[in-house]
This record gives sequence, structure tokens and C-alpha cells, in this order.
Amino acid sequence: MGLVMKVRDVQHAVLPQATAEERSRQEAVVMLRKLLNAKVRSKNVERYGEEARPAFVAAHGRLPQSPAEVQEAFLMSPSYRRWSAANRAAQEMIWVSVGEPIYRDLDRMTRATANLIDSPDKLGSLALDPSYDPSPEVADVDIHLQPGGYAMDKGAYDVVAGALYECGGNVFSFGQGIGRGDSKAGVILKLLEEHFGGFVPRKMLDIGCSAGAASAAYAAHWPQSEVHALDLGAGMLRYAHARAESLGVAVHFHQMDASELKFEKDSFDLVVSHNLMHEIGEEKRRKMIAESFRVVRPGGIVIHQDVAIRNQPTIVHQVERDWDTHFNGEVHWNTYATADLRADMIAAGFPADTVIEHDLAALQGFANNRWYAISGRKPA
Amino acid sequence: MTSKTEALSALIASARGPRPISLQSREAEEVLNIALALTVELAVSNDRIDRLERLVAELRGEPVEDLRDIRYDGDIAQERYDATEALLTRALRVILDPRGHEGAADTDT
Ligand SMILES: C[S@@+](CC[C@H](N)C(=O)[O-])C[C@H]1O[C@@H](n2cnc3c(N)ncnc32)[C@H](O)[C@@H]1O
Repeated sequence: MGLVMKVRDVQHAVLPQATAEERSRQEAVVMLRKLLNAKVRSKNVERYGEEARPAFVAAHGRLPQSPAEVQEAFLMSPSYRRWSAANRAAQEMIWVSVGEPIYRDLDRMTRATANLIDSPDKLGSLALDPSYDPSPEVADVDIHLQPGGYAMDKGAYDVVAGALYECGGNVFSFGQGIGRGDSKAGVILKLLEEHFGGFVPRKMLDIGCSAGAASAAYAAHWPQSEVHALDLGAGMLRYAHARAESLGVAVHFHQMDASELKFEKDSFDLVVSHNLMHEIGEEKRRKMIAESFRVVRPGGIVIHQDVAIRNQPTIVHQVERDWDTHFNGEVHWNTYATADLRADMIAAGFPADTVIEHDLAALQGFANNRWYAISGRKPA
Repeated sequence: MTSKTEALSALIASARGPRPISLQSREAEEVLNIALALTVELAVSNDRIDRLERLVAELRGEPVEDLRDIRYDGDIAQERYDATEALLTRALRVILDPRGHEGAADTDT
């Protein structure tokens, strides 16, 4: 397998130039998150037994039954409440620590973006659709508290949403123990190598690409392939496009809705999505999966990858994981965690025997860091 | 050129959505936020001080302990003033954010 572009901490012209002081601040927030995850959150389920369940029984005279009651019980535990409050504060501080250098350096970033977007010798392209009104279920929410949300767009050469996403992701992932060198694209390239005989697409699509970190990594890995990527946010896509051009890789970015693709049927050899399913509701997800089936060519492969929060061992673990729904603006976290994705893939047209769920190890970072993926193949 | 305080204000103004609380009182949770932000600022300052102390001590060929208790005024004092203003804006973010006022109605009494 060839060289995989390191997705995190890639240097390019549209990244804000953070000062040493700003980097110290980001590192301190990362450390805070790491400590909260490793030393406090890891005890939540144990504390449930010690504090939450007894408190619920004392109040109601019986054990909690439903997820809602388990959630109520969790909030009766002082330890859980302290962790939850501190974790929310840390999440907000991530955005403050990355947002300050972005807004401070924005004039330079905007000029760099304009130069890259307007350059006559571009490798890729950017197709924004002014008539598209970003899906309100995503646009109206600050998902994982990113200020302004994914669809924030101030027009002209605005790239704030993309810069926040990339910089926040760098800080956040490290705090989660995901590791700076981790690449979701790398995990999928490994899967293609190991499960699909080293499948190489001539033309591929990355749905819900955000800042285009994975899209650019695919383009770097397969320089001969035509890489397309889409997202709903114009600010996100301008950033992704300028980033890819600055890195010298060819990616074609499009503004469109994942549930209503403007591509012809049978257009791609490979269609992927990274961490998209948990951001969208049931109906959108089913349409998105159906669209991925429609646009992949016969014999082509579709892989939808996302966070490994599915299949929790108990309802208590499940509710503990569901913190993000209540406190982190992750409206569809639980919808995704409990969805029957196999059924969705089969309903979209993938033959049942081609639909496979994968439990994938992250390439770098801490042990037991995992990603989930589900793949299907269109009949040849 | 955007000042640090302007940059922070732009970020704070762009955040949307409710801020659900976990502790039993919203005020207590806001104070926790300030305390954590201050803790982060302390780490930032410690890094910065540490860098300087090591460099200067090395240059002067003397122990780090000898480098304390120096005061400035004029332009340098103004520079310190601006830096402290930005620091406090970060620390007071949870109160400056307009959502804090919208949520005031459901504060525990
Ligand atoms: C969590 S991000 C994942 C980004 C990227 N693939 C990655 O792994 O880093 C989800 C992205 O999906 C986009 N998105 C959400 N709903 C969408 C929709 N209906 N159509 C297109 N993009 C959508 C969001 O704007 C956001 O950029």
C-alpha cells in the first residue's frame, strides 16, 4: 500500500497561523479533555451502580427501566453531573481555543482562499449551488457545539466553518485519544486492500466531506483517480477546496444534499461517507444510502464509515454514550447508534450477501480506538 | 487586523442553541466554566513564563530564581493591559454569551 497522507496537522495555506500562546491554550484544553475521558468518564458506568441506581430506587421505589429513566438516574449521581458539566465546558473551550486564532487570522486566510480559488491553474474544482438551502436539520444546529454549525456561510471567500471543523477536529480527536496521525481514509484504504482485493477506483465520491481531509487523502493516495466530494455548507466547501489546492491534490467539490445527488446513476466505482450517518436523521440517512446505491456503478463498492458507538453491551452503557445527544448538540447520535443499518443497505438495493459490518481498528492513536463501517456491493 | 478580544467576541456571537446544565444550579455551572477556563489560562501562562525563564537564565548565565520581581510602565504596561483584557474575555465567555441571559429564566431558585 502506498503512502497515506497524514490527515491531522497537515500544513497548508488556509490553516490559521496560531501563536505559541494559542497553541499552549489548545494543548491545555486537549489535556483537560484527555483527563476527563480517561480518569472521570471511564468511571461513569461504575458510578451508575454506586450513586445513580440507588438514588433512583430511593426516589421511585423501583429500578430504572427505560433509557429515559436510566438517563434520569445518571443525572441523580453527583459524580456524573460533575463530569457532564466539566465535559460540556471543555467542549465549548475547544471552540474558543481554535476559534480565536481563526478570527484573528481571518483576513490573511480569506486572501489565501481567494488566491487559491481564483487561480487559473487549479487541479480540482468547486461547484457551489446558490439555490441550495442547506438541510435545516443540520444547518440549524451547532452540532458538537461548533459555533455557527456546519452550514455557516458569510458569502464571498468565507471559510470559517471549514477552518473551525478542521482545527476543532485536530484538537478534539487528540483529546479523545484518536491520535494526530489517524486517518479515516487510511482505515478505508486498508479495508479495500484486505477485503476487496486492493480495489482501486477510477472515479470515487466522498459524501459529507467537511474540510475534505479524507477526500484529499484519497486524491493523494490515488493520483490517477478522479475524486469527487460533497457537503452542504459553502463555507466548509470553500475551505476544503482551497485546502486541497494548497496541498496540491485534485479534488472536485460540490455543494449538494447527500439525500438528493445530482450525479447520474452508475457514475462512481467507489462511494464512501465518513462520520456522516450520525449527523442525519432516519429519513435522510435512508435516502443517502439509497443515493449511494444509485450512483455507484454495477460491481462498484459503497462504504459508510462512522463512530463505533453501536452495539453497547447494556442499556446503561448505551445511555452513557448518549451524552452527546443531550449535551453536545449531536441530535442524531442515538438515532444512529440504534439504527438497523443492514436493513437500510438491503432496502437501498444491495444484495444481503454483499452487506458487511466492519469493526475497524484505528491506524494510529491509543489502543482500542475503533471505527465502524458498513459496506455493500452493487451487483455487476 | 482583528484584535484578540474582537476575535473572541466574533466567536462567542456565532454560537447557537441551548446550554443545558448538569449541575443543580446554573450559577454553579457557570462558575465551574470560569474556573476551568482560568485553569487553562494558567497553563498557558506557565508555558510562556517557563520559556522565557529558561532562555533568559541561559543568556545571563544565572539561576532562573534570580529573574523575578521586575516592573514596567508606558508602552509595555499598555501591552500587558491589552493582553489581560483578552484573557478576561476568555474567562468570562460563559457570561458574555447572550445565551446565558436567555437561560436566566430557568435558573434554579
Ligand atoms: C461529522 S462531519 C464529517 C466530515 C468528514 N467526512 C470527516 O470525516 O471528517 C459531517 C459532515 O456532513 C455534512 N452533512 C450533514 N448532512 C448533510 C447533507 N444532508 N448533505 C450533505 N452533507 C451533509 C455536514 O455539513 C458535515 O460537514
